[in-house]
Amino acid sequence: MAKSSTTPLEQTARLLDLVPFLLSHQGISLEELAKHFKVESDVIIDDLNTLWMCGLPGYTPLELIDLAFDSGYVTIRNAAPLAYVRTMSSAEIVSLTLGLDLLRENSEKLGEDQSNRIERLSALLRKQIGEQITIASSSHTAHRSVVALSISQRVPVQMTYYSSNSDQKSQRLVTAYDFFQENEVEYFQAYCHSSKGMRTFRVDRIVEVSLADVEAEIPSGQVEKNERIRVGATVRSLDRTSAEAFRLDFAQLQVGAGVTLEAFSPEWLIRAIMAGAGSLAVDDPAEFRLQIRESVDATIALYE
Amino acid sequence: MSRKSERLVNLTIALLATKRYLTKSEIFRTVDGYEGAPEAMERMFERDKDDLRSLGITIELGTFDPLFEDEAGYRITPSSYQLNLGELDGTDIALLSIAASAWTGAALEKESTSALIKLASMGLDSDSEALSLLAPRVSGTDQNFAVLTDAIIRRSEIEFTYVGSDLSRSARRVAPYSMRGRTGSWYLVGLDLEKNSLRTFRLDRISSEISVGKKSSAYVIPENIPEQQAEEAQEVALLRVRKNRGHQLRSLSTLVNPGDDWDDVSIPILSPSWLLRLILWHRDDVIVVKPATLRKDVLASLIDLQVLHG
Repeated sequence: MAKSSTTPLEQTARLLDLVPFLLSHQGISLEELAKHFKVESDVIIDDLNTLWMCGLPGYTPLELIDLAFDSGYVTIRNAAPLAYVRTMSSAEIVSLTLGLDLLRENSEKLGEDQSNRIERLSALLRKQIGEQITIASSSHTAHRSVVALSISQRVPVQMTYYSSNSDQKSQRLVTAYDFFQENEVEYFQAYCHSSKGMRTFRVDRIVEVSLADVEAEIPSGQVEKNERIRVGATVRSLDRTSAEAFRLDFAQLQVGAGVTLEAFSPEWLIRAIMAGAGSLAVDDPAEFRLQIRESVDATIALYE
Repeated sequence: MSRKSERLVNLTIALLATKRYLTKSEIFRTVDGYEGAPEAMERMFERDKDDLRSLGITIELGTFDPLFEDEAGYRITPSSYQLNLGELDGTDIALLSIAASAWTGAALEKESTSALIKLASMGLDSDSEALSLLAPRVSGTDQNFAVLTDAIIRRSEIEFTYVGSDLSRSARRVAPYSMRGRTGSWYLVGLDLEKNSLRTFRLDRISSEISVGKKSSAYVIPENIPEQQAEEAQEVALLRVRKNRGHQLRSLSTLVNPGDDWDDVSIPILSPSWLLRLILWHRDDVIVVKPATLRKDVLASLIDLQVLHG
């Protein structure tokens, strides 16, 4: 994400980091430089113009940092006092440490040397930030990397998948297309050879996945998306469970107001309405209202 | 072009290059950017020191000779300013770079970008072989993430507004202990300072910005933080779950007694309201046998739903 405007403090941080970066990347193009710092080119040019005015007290050409970038390529001289690479902030170290934690989980692909290095680097960084900030060791990352392989090489994978909609585990042969993220949850689109159609899967619902030892052709013209279902409902009481399930804005919800609920699967929608314990009442379509009523009746019948 | 960032860089250069402490008057006289009335320069300098400190730069205060009452001066020592990760080689740099790239599009993207730049500035060639590893991905784009990690490391108390189960807002004052990422969400564990007990908060239920107390080392994090508030006299719910259904309920169970069409499943009740929702989610695949209160609550919710959709 390239940024076009920054605060003076952000700019200061960038200027201090620019000098050692330029010293080790003499002759880098302005374009490349902007890409590394994830800012627009004009931000980097403004940075260089500012840096040009900086130096040791005295501020004669002898003391100022000497920069050349007219040609579109940047060289730097006379910048010795700022040549040090700046120490990392706690948040920077946290970003590296948690990243290493995730990488370590991916241990199937790691060689012994790499594993040892990750242990050592992780211990080194943890010394500075402590043990308080962690990411759960889960199998998601390893699963994700197999799916990523399926996407990049267009090869099928064999997967055991848990569907909370149907509350069942199933064996599927799929070829994955793309990851996407919605409300902090990561999904992927895949052609499911078992059910012969495009399906959406949640990465965290994969029970097991491995590369399949078979060839699988995808019929052409099979890449259409699932249709969304929309229903109209009335808010009966303010309820966090319902708001989170349907991704409704906490701040906008009002008792008595109408809302539109969206879902990919009717089964999921019925379950979510029931788990809302009466905080949402479905108004239309009537046919869907009836389905909920039938499901509720069937459940009540168990208690009679 | 910003005069302020220019002045901050010049101040950093001057303090970093000096071998002795620079007095305030020397700084005002020689560092470019300090001008105006003495009081205005004083205020400017105080703000500048705070700003540099917020960038993690340590400014040392000292005198040339403690025997004489010299005016105190300032400097930045290269050893405190400089990144020191010990002996690293190209493969280490490559592994750290992959680790940093896990944040693409996520909460600490800005921080991981600057960390990557610092790694790239160390003048070591990154080993490209290691780069063929698949990069992991962190999920979560919470804006409070960086603030929170910093507060935990500094042991500073925090304040925020939290959304309750009925969507009501309440102000919370918390000593943050730890942060854990699990199943796509981030959880903060900390001591609720009003209630004086341990609480878990989900980051996406914090509806305000987090304000961090100025004081660091304000508390001590206990050695062992329990996973969840330990409730001694835990009640156990007995559910009857249809065969081959209710995997989520089964995964929470402490005991399963198989039957013909239905299995008896025992689940410890950590949160009654949460279990109620989970039971409703499973529709006609589960019946509550006991406790009676849970059975009554589930039935009441079902009748409510029946009336609403009648």
